[in-house]
Amino acid sequence: MAEAVHTQLSSGVELAVLELPHRRAVASEIRMLTGVVNEPGDKLGLAHLVEQSLDKGTQNHSGRELQDAFDEIGSGVNSWCGKQSSGFTSLCLPEYFGRSMELHSEFLRTPTFPQESCDVAIELARQELMALEDDAQGLADKHIGMQAMGPLLGRHTIGETDTLATITRDDFESFWRSNYCSGRMQVSVAGPMSLAQVQDVIEKQFSGFGDQSQTHRDSIPVEFNPVTTHHHKETEQEHMVIALRGVPKSEADYSTARLLMGVLAGGMSARLFTEVREKLGLVYWVGGWQEHPRGAGLMYFGASTTPERCAKTYETMLAELVRVGVDLTQEEVDRARTGIEVRSDIRGDVTRALCSEMADDLMHFGQPVSRALKLERLKNISVGDVKQFCEKYIKDAPRSVVTLGPKALES
Amino acid sequence: MADQFTITKLSNGMNIAIERMEGVKSVAAGFLVQTGARDETPDLAGVSHFLEHMCFKGTPNRTAAEINIDFDRIGGNPNAFTSHDRTFYHGLARSADFPKQLEILADMMNSSLPPDEFDMEKNVVLEEIAMSNDRIEHVAFDLIVESVFKNNTLAWPVLGYDRTVKALTRDQMNHYFRSRYTPANMVLVVTGAVDPDEVIAQAEKVCGHWKAGERRPDRTKPVMGKGIVQKTIDRFQQQVVAITFEGPGATHPLHDTAEAAASILGGGNSRFYWNIEQTGLAPYAGAYRLDFGDCGLFILMAQCDPQNADRVIDALRDEAKSFAAGPVSDDEIQRVKNKRRTGLAVEGESPHHRLVQVMDDVDYRGEPRTVEDRIAAVNAVGRESLREYFDAFPVDGEGLLVSVGPLQSSAA
Repeated sequence: MAEAVHTQLSSGVELAVLELPHRRAVASEIRMLTGVVNEPGDKLGLAHLVEQSLDKGTQNHSGRELQDAFDEIGSGVNSWCGKQSSGFTSLCLPEYFGRSMELHSEFLRTPTFPQESCDVAIELARQELMALEDDAQGLADKHIGMQAMGPLLGRHTIGETDTLATITRDDFESFWRSNYCSGRMQVSVAGPMSLAQVQDVIEKQFSGFGDQSQTHRDSIPVEFNPVTTHHHKETEQEHMVIALRGVPKSEADYSTARLLMGVLAGGMSARLFTEVREKLGLVYWVGGWQEHPRGAGLMYFGASTTPERCAKTYETMLAELVRVGVDLTQEEVDRARTGIEVRSDIRGDVTRALCSEMADDLMHFGQPVSRALKLERLKNISVGDVKQFCEKYIKDAPRSVVTLGPKALES
Repeated sequence: MADQFTITKLSNGMNIAIERMEGVKSVAAGFLVQTGARDETPDLAGVSHFLEHMCFKGTPNRTAAEINIDFDRIGGNPNAFTSHDRTFYHGLARSADFPKQLEILADMMNSSLPPDEFDMEKNVVLEEIAMSNDRIEHVAFDLIVESVFKNNTLAWPVLGYDRTVKALTRDQMNHYFRSRYTPANMVLVVTGAVDPDEVIAQAEKVCGHWKAGERRPDRTKPVMGKGIVQKTIDRFQQQVVAITFEGPGATHPLHDTAEAAASILGGGNSRFYWNIEQTGLAPYAGAYRLDFGDCGLFILMAQCDPQNADRVIDALRDEAKSFAAGPVSDDEIQRVKNKRRTGLAVEGESPHHRLVQVMDDVDYRGEPRTVEDRIAAVNAVGRESLREYFDAFPVDGEGLLVSVGPLQSSAA
C-alpha cells in the first residue's frame, strides 16, 4: 500500500493524502483544532452546540438545502465534537469529492446560526443530558472523565444544565469566529485521489479562511484526581471504572502501553476477560481502553455487574492489574502483538478506517505515521519492557475510581 | 450467478457460499445456523442465545481457554450473535490464517457443552439480561416484539427471560443443540482474499464428516397485534414511544422500497429529523425496519422528555400520514437512493460487511447478490413503488403503540 503524503498548504491547512487507486469511495476528515477545552467556563456545552449548528444555515442556503445538497451527491457526512478538536467526516464517490468539500467550506466559513436553530440545539442538548441519565455506562464514563482528567480536559461534551441555560446565539457566533479558521484545520483524505487533485480542491475552498497561523497544537496537562467516588443510581447493574495515568501517543512508551492493553483487554484470551468473565462468570462486560488528549494518556478498566458481585469483580480486576506485571509470559505478549497486527491489516481494507487513523496521526504526531513503522515499534518490545511499564504505571500508581449504581464499593 | 461467487454443497449436504474479493488482504468466515429464538419453545426461551455462549466454552478437542488462545494466536477476531431466526459465528483474519480460523470455528460447532462451564456461563447470560434491562431502548424493543407478535414464537426476547434462563438445564440445551446444529440447518459463508477451491477442500476436511441431520421444524408466520401497550418504569428519565406497522419481509419485492421509505421518513436529513428533532420535540426520532424471512415490521420510534411524549406520538403519526398521502418528490427519493448507493459501495470494500450481506442473502433468498445487484435494487425504487408500498403496508392506521418510561401517555 502507498504511503500517505503530508503537506502544508499556503491557505494554512495541514493536509495528508493517502492515494488508494482501486477503492470505490473517498473518505475525508476535517479536524478543526477546537473543542470543549476552548469553551468559557460558564458556557459548557458551547463547542458541541456550535458543531451541531454550523450546517443549519449559511449565507446561501438553509440547513435543509445544505443537507439536501449533500444527499444529492450521496455523500455520507457526520460530525463530532471532542476535547481538543471537532471532526467533520465525509464519504463519497470520487467524482463528488470537490462538491463535498465545497459544501463543507460553505458551512464552516459562512454559517449564519439562525436564532431558531440555536434555540433548538440548546433544547436538544438539555434533552440529551436527560438521555445520558438513562445510560448508566455513559454516565460512569462522564464521571471518570472529570475525575481522571480534571476540570478542563474532563469536561463533558454536552455541557451541564445550568451552563446550557446561559448560552445565547451571540455565544455561538463568537465561539465560531474565535475558533474556526484554516490555521486550525487538519484535513485527511484517503481514496482514489492524488495529492495534486486533493490539494487543488482544498486550497480553492479554504484559502483566506480566518487566521492562517498554526495554533492550538499545544498539550493541556491532565489533572488526575486519585479518589474513589460512588454515584447512586437505581439500576440492575453496578458500573465501575478504574482510571490510571498512561502515556501520550507521541511517547516511546506508547507502544508498550498498547501491547499491555492488548494483554489485559485485547482479545478473547486477554487477562480481564479470562479471569473476570471466563473463570468466575462475574460479568457480561469487562474491558480496558485508553484515552489520549494531545500530549497525555489515560488507561481505563471497566466492568458492569449486579451489586452482589461488585466487590469480587473489583478485587479481581485490581488483582489482575497487579499480577500482569509479575507473571506476564512471552506467549501473552506475542498474542497481543498478533492481535494488533491483524487488526491493522484488516483496517487497511477499509478506506474510512485508514482516513480516520491518518487524522489521528496528524493530531498526535503532527504527521501521518506509516502502519509499518507503528508495527515495527511493537516488534521490539519485550516481556521485560511491559513488566517495567507495569511497575511504573500500574503497580503502586494512584487510581481514580468511579462506581455508579445502587450500591457503593465496600471499603 | 456472478463470477465472484461459488455456491456449492459438501458431501454431507451442507451449503457453502464463497465470495472471492479482489484488492483485500483479509478473509471473513462464518457458520450460519438457521435457528434462533423463534425456533424455541416458551419454556426454553433464551436457549439459542445461551447456546451461542456455550459454543465458546469447550469442545472434545479444546477447552474454553484453548479456543480463546487459538483464536488470538492468529488475531482471529471471533464473535457471534443470535437473533430471532438465526445464530451466526464469525471471524476475520489474514488470508494466510484462514485454514486455522475455519478449523477453530468448525470445532466450536461441535461443542461439548462442558457441564462445569454451564452454570458459570448462565451467570454471564443473566448479567447480560440485567444489562439489557438497564437500557430503556432495549426494554422498549422487547415490549414491541412481545406485543406485536403475541401468540407467536417471535414474541419473546432473544436473551430469554431471567426465569427461563435460570431454569434451563444442560440436558435441555444439549437436545436442542444436537437437533439444530447439523448441516441441514447450517451454511458456511466465506468472503475475502480466498481461493474457492481451497476453501471447499478445507471445509470438506473439517466439516465433511458431520452427519447431515434433519431440517428444523417449519416456522409459523405471525399475525400482527395492534392496540396500545404501556409500561411505567419510574427509574428512567426519558419516555420511549413507538408506533409499529406491518412491513415487508426480507424477500418481498418491496423490500428496498421499504428501506427508502424508512430513510425518507426517519433517516438522516429526513422528515422526522427536520419536523420532530429540529423543532426541539425529541433528540432522537427515527423509522426502522425489522426483517424476517416471512414477515417484517416498520417501526416509528422516538426518545423524548416525558412531558413531550403526547406531542411526539402525534407528530410521528402526522408525519407518517402525510408521507403516505403524498406527494413524495423525485428529488426526495433520489437523495435517499444516492446515500444508500454510496453506503453499499463502501460496504462492498470490506470482507466483514460482505460476509454479513452474503449470509443474509443466502439465508433468506437462497443465493447471494453482488454489490451491483443491491445497487440495482435501490435504483428501482421510485414514486410508483412507494405508492404500491403504502397500499400494501399502510402506515396511517392504528398500528401498535408502545410507550415506556416514567409516564403513561394520555394521547395513547
